[in-house]
Amino acid sequence: MDLISDQGLRLDGRRPNELRKIRCKLGVFNQPDGSAYLEQGNTKVLAAVYGPHEIRGSRTKALHDQALINCQYSMATFSTGERKRRPRGDRKSIEMSIHLRQALQAVIKTELYARSQIDIFVEVLQADGGNYCTCVNAATLALIDAGIPITEYMVACTASLANGETPLVDISHLEETSGGPNLTVAAMPMSGQIVLLEMSQRFHLDHLDKVMKHALRGCQEIKAVLDKAVRDHVASAGAACNWEFKTD
Amino acid sequence: MDAQYKVIDPVKFYRDHLAHKIRPDGRGLLKFRPAVINVDSIGTADGSAIVKIGNTTVVCGVKLELGVPKPEESNIGWLVPNVTLPPLCSPRFHPGPPSDEAQVASNMLAEILSNASVLDLRALCVVPERLAWAVYLDAVCLNHDGSILDACVVAAVAALRTVRLPRVEHDADKDITKVFPDERSSLPITGAPIPTTHAIFEDEVILVDPTSDEESLASGLVTITVQNDQMCSVYKPGGSPLADENMQACLSRARTRAIQMNNLIEAALAARDKEETKDQKLIS
Repeated sequence: MDLISDQGLRLDGRRPNELRKIRCKLGVFNQPDGSAYLEQGNTKVLAAVYGPHEIRGSRTKALHDQALINCQYSMATFSTGERKRRPRGDRKSIEMSIHLRQALQAVIKTELYARSQIDIFVEVLQADGGNYCTCVNAATLALIDAGIPITEYMVACTASLANGETPLVDISHLEETSGGPNLTVAAMPMSGQIVLLEMSQRFHLDHLDKVMKHALRGCQEIKAVLDKAVRDHVASAGAACNWEFKTD
Repeated sequence: MDAQYKVIDPVKFYRDHLAHKIRPDGRGLLKFRPAVINVDSIGTADGSAIVKIGNTTVVCGVKLELGVPKPEESNIGWLVPNVTLPPLCSPRFHPGPPSDEAQVASNMLAEILSNASVLDLRALCVVPERLAWAVYLDAVCLNHDGSILDACVVAAVAALRTVRLPRVEHDADKDITKVFPDERSSLPITGAPIPTTHAIFEDEVILVDPTSDEESLASGLVTITVQNDQMCSVYKPGGSPLADENMQACLSRARTRAIQMNNLIEAALAARDKEETKDQKLIS
């Protein structure tokens, strides 16, 4: 299957370095301390944050100098093409939960909440590729909505290589399963530091730099969209309380 | 100031509000919360609906699978409803096996759908004794702010109305099944049960459509399901005794609510149909 047509367009009509349409909303629910809904193309994810609160379960898990981060990645049974029999608890979901925790732990200022727990729950309502990335981005927004201090945005993006030469950014499910390499990067866009990097399949080392640059640039672009959403949300919340919101 | 008072003595907080015949969210005692329905938003599901009653949000997705019917029930398919209350919907739920509340809600959903004869399972049979559809109905609560059963059943009914069964051809001799995903027909949905939940506060005051806080303070709960102006299910799990005239009043409120909800479901489906014909016009 040709991932890039003769006119240089991908299967869904995008250019190789074009991201999918991102739609997001913060503070969607009232039960969680922080919540966010994020759509990247057809991938729809909901994130909810509870905390910081007292450690649940065994007190022995408490860390004396930092907060315990607990993540749960769950996919709705109707989120994939084939019905998902085990929404959570299977190997892939546990691996995703662990990766989510590792990525977010790098930005959350856990030293401020010793002996406490922060829960981050992520529910994938529709999966169309880049599930992990959308989850990380939604979780970042939910953390901001919860008011938990983070050093900077944690943004994730995927990239791939089409026809052995053209880098693609933000790949959909169809492009993921076509057999090309999948590179997932979770990075802090402002400082340019990479926190999590995962790759499947293989391609020549010469192309690695190119693909990584595309993924990191994708992270920067996503961060710009998320940042605007956060500022709009704060401005509208502040307008209701008569704050003055100035941007430089 | 208000928030601290609510945490220190929630019962007094509510009692003081009810003395003025008003609830903390500004509603009257017998006022319903506004409801919003959106259908067919999940592309990967064979049918879906999202229902928001106040802050309570439930998304229901339908997935279809083919299976071989049991020999003793060889001409019917399966309708498998399930309610999930994940930890993200409320701080009361923790990761792990389904909580009691989730299991009870799943059971109630299954009972209500079967009592109301929402779907004739014989319509799911493709070839008797050989092939039948299994309709998996999964309701996931995204935000639990009370009256969960109301939202789940409405979402389930709306989602079933959006399901389109693909045409299936089964060659019995060669045992080959061919599915035509582009030729679809709707499910024959013959019911629209609508539940309404009431909470009883301190054995005396009846509140309609309780929020999560009100449910936790309530001394009793009662859910009445109405279909076609007839009562089709009553769920009252213990709690304060309810006098007959109060029960009758709850029933008449449930009947009014059922009419409003049905109109809302029809409006959501009509809007979806209009979008579809518009899209088809654009394509052609």
